[in-house]
Order: sequence, then C-alpha cells, then structure tokens
Amino acid sequence: MINIKTKNSRYGFNKGLTPDKISLLMGLFLLLLLPLLVRQNDYILQVFTHALLLATLALAWNILGLSGSISLGHAAFFGSGAYASALLSLDLGLSLWITIPLAGFIAAGLGFIMGLICMRLRGAYFALATLAFIEIPRVITDNWDQVTRGSLGLVGLPGFPSLNLGTWHIDFYSSFTASYYLVFIYFLLLLGLVGFIFRSNLGLALQAIREEEIASQAVGIDADRLRLFSMLLSAFFTGVTGACYAHLVRYINPGLVFGLHFSAIPMIFAICGGRFTIIGPALAALIIYPLDQFVFHPLIPTGHEFLYGAVLIFAVLFMPAGFWGSIQRTTN
Amino acid sequence: MWTTVLVSGISMGSFYILIALGFALIFGVTRYFNLAHGELVVLAGYVAYWLWDVYALSFVLTFPVAILVLFLICLGLKRLFARLSEPLELNSIVLSFGIAIVIQNSMLILFSGNYRLIRIPSLNKNFHFHEVYMSYGQLTLLLLSLIVIFLLYILMYRTYLGKALRATIQDKEAAALAGINVTIMGTFAFCLGAVLIGLAGPLYGCTHYLYPSTGHEITLLAITITIFAGVGRLGGIILAGWILGLAESFTVILCGSSWREMVTSLLLLILLAFKPYGILGNRES
Repeated sequence: MINIKTKNSRYGFNKGLTPDKISLLMGLFLLLLLPLLVRQNDYILQVFTHALLLATLALAWNILGLSGSISLGHAAFFGSGAYASALLSLDLGLSLWITIPLAGFIAAGLGFIMGLICMRLRGAYFALATLAFIEIPRVITDNWDQVTRGSLGLVGLPGFPSLNLGTWHIDFYSSFTASYYLVFIYFLLLLGLVGFIFRSNLGLALQAIREEEIASQAVGIDADRLRLFSMLLSAFFTGVTGACYAHLVRYINPGLVFGLHFSAIPMIFAICGGRFTIIGPALAALIIYPLDQFVFHPLIPTGHEFLYGAVLIFAVLFMPAGFWGSIQRTTN
Repeated sequence: MWTTVLVSGISMGSFYILIALGFALIFGVTRYFNLAHGELVVLAGYVAYWLWDVYALSFVLTFPVAILVLFLICLGLKRLFARLSEPLELNSIVLSFGIAIVIQNSMLILFSGNYRLIRIPSLNKNFHFHEVYMSYGQLTLLLLSLIVIFLLYILMYRTYLGKALRATIQDKEAAALAGINVTIMGTFAFCLGAVLIGLAGPLYGCTHYLYPSTGHEITLLAITITIFAGVGRLGGIILAGWILGLAESFTVILCGSSWREMVTSLLLLILLAFKPYGILGNRES
C-alpha cells in the first residue's frame, strides 16, 4: 500500500496501454456494438439494458465500498430515488431530465441521515445498521397512502420522452436500442467518474482509511467526513439508477424497490467482481445477470436467484479479492 | 384492554427470546454473525409443515425431526464458516447473507411461495382469566419458551459444559489458555443453536404464516435482541425480548399493524447509534 502511486501498482494506476486497458476498451467496444451484433433482438437487448443498469448500481455501491465499508442498505437509496422521480413526474408533471437528478439529491439526503446514524460504526456493525435502515423508508412509503399510494405501488409511470436532435428522432417508447444506448451512456459516465474517483486524492484517502484508519488520520485525513462524502456520492448515483429503473420498467411498489434484492445485488456484484477494483463490479454485473437470465431463469423459473447466493458464497470463501481483483493480481 | 396487550406482548416477547437465543449463542461463542438465522427458523417451520401436512404426523413429533434436519445443516454451516478469512465478523455477514439467499431460493423451489400455516384448531381457542383474554396458542408459546429458557439457564450456569461455553464467550484466548477446546465449543454452540432453531421453527409455523422471504424479519429480530443484551448475557436477552414484544404489541394497538415491521429496525438503529456494544454490555477493548 505504500507505493500506491508507483508505476506498476496492482490497483490499476498503470500508465499507457496495458493488457487491462486493452481488454476494457475491447469490452466497451463490444457493448457499443451489441445492438448490431444481436440484430435488434429485443429480449437480449432488454436483458443487457438491465445488466448495464445493475452495473451502474454496483459501481455506485463501490464508491462507498472503496472505503472498506460493506453496505446492505442501498435498496433504501434505490427505492427512494425510484419513488422520488416517479412521484415528481406523475404528480407535478416535471420532465424526467429534471426529476432524475432531483431523485439523486433526495437519495443523497437519505444517505446523509444514514451516514449520521452509522458514522461511529465500523465493519460488521455498520453492515447491520444499514441492513436495518432499509425498513424505515419502506414502511413509511408503505403507509403514507396520500402521497405514495401505499403498498399497491405506482403503475403507468412516464417513460423517457422522445428526443429530437436535429434530424434525428429518438423514441424511447418504441425502440429498445434507444433505451439501451441511454443506459449505456449513463454507465460510461459513471464508469469514468468512478475511475476518476479511484485515482483522485479522495480515492487514495478512502483506500488509506480502509487499510489503516488510525494511521490515515495521523497523516491528516478526516476519515469521518470523507466516509460520509463517499456515502453521499454513492447514495446519489444509486438514487439516479433507481429513478432510471422506475422509468424504464414503469411500475414500482415498495416491496420491490425497497426489497432486499436491490441491496443484495450491488454488494454481490462488487464482491464477486472485486470491490477494490474499478471495473470489477461492473464486469460481474454484465456476466452474472445475463447468465442468470439466459441460463438459470429458463432452468428453474422460481428460485433462480439461487445463483446470486452461490456466487457470493464462492467469492467470499475462495476468491476474496474478487474475480477481476484476482486476475489483476496474477497479471501484475 | 391494556392487560391483554401486555400479556400478548410478553407472550410474543418470550417467543422472540427463544428465536434469538440460538443466534446469540452462536454469535457469542464463535463471533460469527449468522444472517441466515431467520431462514433456518423458517426452514425448520417448513419441515414441520411438510411432515404435518403430507405425512399427517402429529405436531409434537415434528420437533425431533426438525431438530435433526437443522443439526445436519448447522454442522455443514460451521464447516463453511470455518473457512472464512479475517475480518471474521464482517466476512461472516457476507457469507451468511449468501447462505440466506441460497436457503430462501431452495425453499421457494421446494415449497413454492404460497403462504403456509400449521393449523391447529385448539390453539386458536380463546380463554379469559379475570380481565385477560388469551389464546391457547399464546399460552403455549409463553410456557414452552419459558421452559426452554429455564433449561438453557440450567445448562449454562449449573453444568461444567456451560461454564466452558461462558468462558469462551467472555474471552476466547483466555479460555483456550485455561485448556478449553475453543473449536469444539464452537461446534457445540452450532449444535445447541440447531436445537433452539429446531424448536422455534415449528412453533413459528403454527403461529405465523410461513413463506420463503419471511426469514429476514426474524434475523433482524435476533440481531436486535442480541445487540441489545450485549454478548453472553442471558438476563439481557430475556429483558430485550420482552421489551421488543411489548413495543410491537403497543405499536400495533396505537399505530396499526402495518407499522409493526419498523419497530425492530428502529430499535436496532437507535441501539447501534448510541450504544453499539449493548445496553447492558460494555466493550473491554
């Protein structure tokens, strides 16, 4: 950890074109061409749109994960983002391009509350507190009928409006390809941002906190404030992803978006992919989710989420650095 | 009316103690947080339901079978936990979260997602003693839980084995230095946990609806009670269980049953925010 900024560190700070970067660029290129490769097959495109969305969820989770904390409560941010954007667009009729960032800020506000509660907790106790935290927005959403319409959920949410860019007319209602590229652009932006954060002073400070909190404080890192800040960033993007989910699927209910599922998913992807790497969590999402949908779902229609538990058990027992983390270790 | 609420709270709370005891014991001795605890309780409930429904086994006879099944599962889990690397507490949370997902989906495959209840008509009958109205089900829960708590108390405080277990809970290294085989104590804690879960599961199945994802609520309950009590305090667990049971039944009366689910998590959050190592416990290091 001492020579963290030296040329060939195993945390991905290499300069120039390394095998890592080449494979990353090839992967992104493949994702860019995917709609052409699958010849506009709607089902495959939908699965990959969803996989990309879950990849952004895992990336957002990992901003907090970088500091060594494991959160089991990101469904709180996901759900509040989804509900905020859905209600703002349904009741106030605001444009989605306004409601989605607003949803991010509302989720970040919730992240601030959670941060204040969990500030003093470390490790296992932090994880337990976040696990308990999900129930609070869920039960409030469930019971606050006048505003949220209760446990039946919201149906018929507005989808993304069509865009007119000069002669181009992009219609998200009818074209799955358009939705795919929309999520792909969001994914690219977040991937770039997470990459930037990992290499920035903030990222270095968070990694220092993870390795040795007391020593990091001794060199002047305000551990509590940075941890809270990473929580806010993480919550913001989880909320944005939740909002995108609401408008893509166009149906939400409290049990769905505040369910344990959306807490488990980003944690599983991040741990399986490698939570101390930049692209590991996204890679895991893009491999495990399609595997689940194309292979396990047809085999065992009820109970196919078995796979997520199994890969998590496997990763924590045999591959603690994660899939991508292990590859990086062996190649360097 | 208030005495009835009080009695039902105490009865529910006693059952919560029974549910939490297995979790607290395993956590105390081995320092593994077993987030699959609730799923195991539900699984034991399903085993009892299945025997009762398909083989028409009498309800009392489902307990030994449930305990036996849980025994095998818990010994398997112990082996998985033993492979974990440091930090143990955090990694055990991640591992057991995975195990919980696996068990939940296995139950979904085996028993489907329908709501199941072990219907025993005699348990639903009511009786009243002066002003207190109670069902026989509540009375059974109360009495059985108190008996199990009493037996566990005898085991922990009146036998040599209990002394060794308590020593391991208090200080693993010192216990090992004094010649206690800490690994065997861990195995024993899992076995005892299996017995407690095997008792709690069928009881849960005849008082609550069983469905695969209900385990999460039970796990939160067990965590809250254990953290409230601090590690290795049987008295604290009893107090915590009753407080939780009372808090829930008063919430149901005052705010409505839909707010009940929030009581446990709110209590856990308050505890963790202000007293992370327990109301009654104090962290030495």
